[in-house]
Amino acid sequence: MIEIGRVRALLSKEFLDLARNRTALVPVVVVTVLSLVLPFGVAIAVPALTGHPLDEDADLVRVSRVAGMSPDLSDNARIQLFLFQQFLMLFLVTPVTGAMALASHAVVGEKQARTLEPLLATPLTTFELLIAKVLGALLPTLAISAIGLAIYLGGIARLAAPGVGVAMASLRTLVLTILVAPAAALVALQAAILISSRVNDPRTAQQFGVLIIVPLVALMVVQFLGSLWLSAAALALIGGGLLGVWGLLSAFSVALFDRETILTRWR
Amino acid sequence: MISASHLTRRFGARTAVNDVSFEVGRSEIVALLGPNGAGKTTTLRMLAGLIAPTSGSIAIEGRQLTRATGGALRMRIGFLTEAPGLWDRLTVRENLGVYARMYGIADRERRIDRTLELFGLTDRQATLCAELSKGMRQKVALARTLLHDPVVLLLDEPTSSLDPEVTRMIRLLLEERRAAGCSILVSTHNLDEAERLADRVAVLHERLVAIDEPSALRARLTTGRVIVRVAGDPSVLLGAVHSVVGTDAVHAVDRAALTLQLTDANRQTPALIRALVAAGAEILEVRPEIPPLEDVYLHLMEERGSGQGLGARG
Repeated sequence: MIEIGRVRALLSKEFLDLARNRTALVPVVVVTVLSLVLPFGVAIAVPALTGHPLDEDADLVRVSRVAGMSPDLSDNARIQLFLFQQFLMLFLVTPVTGAMALASHAVVGEKQARTLEPLLATPLTTFELLIAKVLGALLPTLAISAIGLAIYLGGIARLAAPGVGVAMASLRTLVLTILVAPAAALVALQAAILISSRVNDPRTAQQFGVLIIVPLVALMVVQFLGSLWLSAAALALIGGGLLGVWGLLSAFSVALFDRETILTRWR
Repeated sequence: MISASHLTRRFGARTAVNDVSFEVGRSEIVALLGPNGAGKTTTLRMLAGLIAPTSGSIAIEGRQLTRATGGALRMRIGFLTEAPGLWDRLTVRENLGVYARMYGIADRERRIDRTLELFGLTDRQATLCAELSKGMRQKVALARTLLHDPVVLLLDEPTSSLDPEVTRMIRLLLEERRAAGCSILVSTHNLDEAERLADRVAVLHERLVAIDEPSALRARLTTGRVIVRVAGDPSVLLGAVHSVVGTDAVHAVDRAALTLQLTDANRQTPALIRALVAAGAEILEVRPEIPPLEDVYLHLMEERGSGQGLGARG
């Protein structure tokens, strides 16, 4: 049984700790800023500065048609929409990369600071400890990511070709941002925390945890090449699948959390 | 009350604790003595439910400590770990606050206020723990350990490397908790502290080598020597001593005292005093030589090394 009060207690510590160590959030801020600069640079700034509109590129025109997007939009607007939809995938990666440093430090960091043993001497269960650690890393990064996303969508509405902003406000965008991004982040963080409880060096946990980005980046590249376009339904399935994986990883994390080894073998 | 029965803990091929049994009653302080690696911390961790014994059992307040009961029993245990384990980026009050919430303490803020006051930490409550001295950190850690009013206290070297003032404060506090009915087990290297604080001393070296009151442990190493302190030069009294107990009985003579090895101190001492008084001695003190606990401890360790433990009693 989970005691919410204990999870909230540890979560309050995580937030206080983070509030006094804001540099830990620099990676997620940097990735969020890059996720904003890159799409607006590619879709709006570069064509405007070079004087070559996007629809001059036949490949982009072809790929944007493959994606089957809003046929009533102009070629230029449709390519912009295609690019902004593609770059939306970056917001899957943002919380993953940003929170990885926090999550990978979660258990091994407590052990290294010698704060884990007093914590384990309380009635706190392993599941409560791990859930607080996941949420402690996930919530701040999701908050930053959400701010970035709001700027992204607001920027599109303001700066992109007419019709792009409205077309972006689709079920696909909603599924991607509300379901897939948090689910991917949960999987990555849970994996990082699982690894963090099995290794005695945060760097090792971080290196393993970052591997979760590989399939996300692969998905992005495949979509860019126009050989795959994931619909809202497909994304919802992926989101559901990721949540299932997270459930399994959570169960594994609890089963594999060997407090005796952590207390007696780690130095 | 703490009850450990035939506790054994192995780590692979190494046995850290071997068949250790003892009890700590209500309103009792037992000091756990032993060299580094003797199994003190492992014993405390088992009692705190942090690691499971390979065999044997533990009961806290009459309830068996198991995986199922561990959570509930940890509510009644206060465990001071070897390192203070404070979150450096949190203030003193915030550190206590997290633990108060963890233990589900009602009226949290008032309890924290009271604890801060008890430990003289009220004016440091807003200080980040990273900025505290070693003694202060230990105080905060102890405050955290006592925050939820545990009935069982397990303290791993609570006064290690602390200045005498903080050590005394911690000693007084533990005496107060003892008076309140707590069962307290303290691991320490400090023999003087063990003697001052503990009702009983347990000497651990993988096995329980001995457990008894400090005075009873010392009595086990009774030398049978009597120290006679006199005014003036004691060597002028040797003739009187030889006439009563013989020449072999004189163990040592220094500037103020004679140390005599008696075969039957109860029978020989009165005759010896009469003879000394008759010889004109001004006797200031006559007392049996009592070995310090340190000697007893070292003796027990030597015996343990040579495989002849005295056996645990009590």
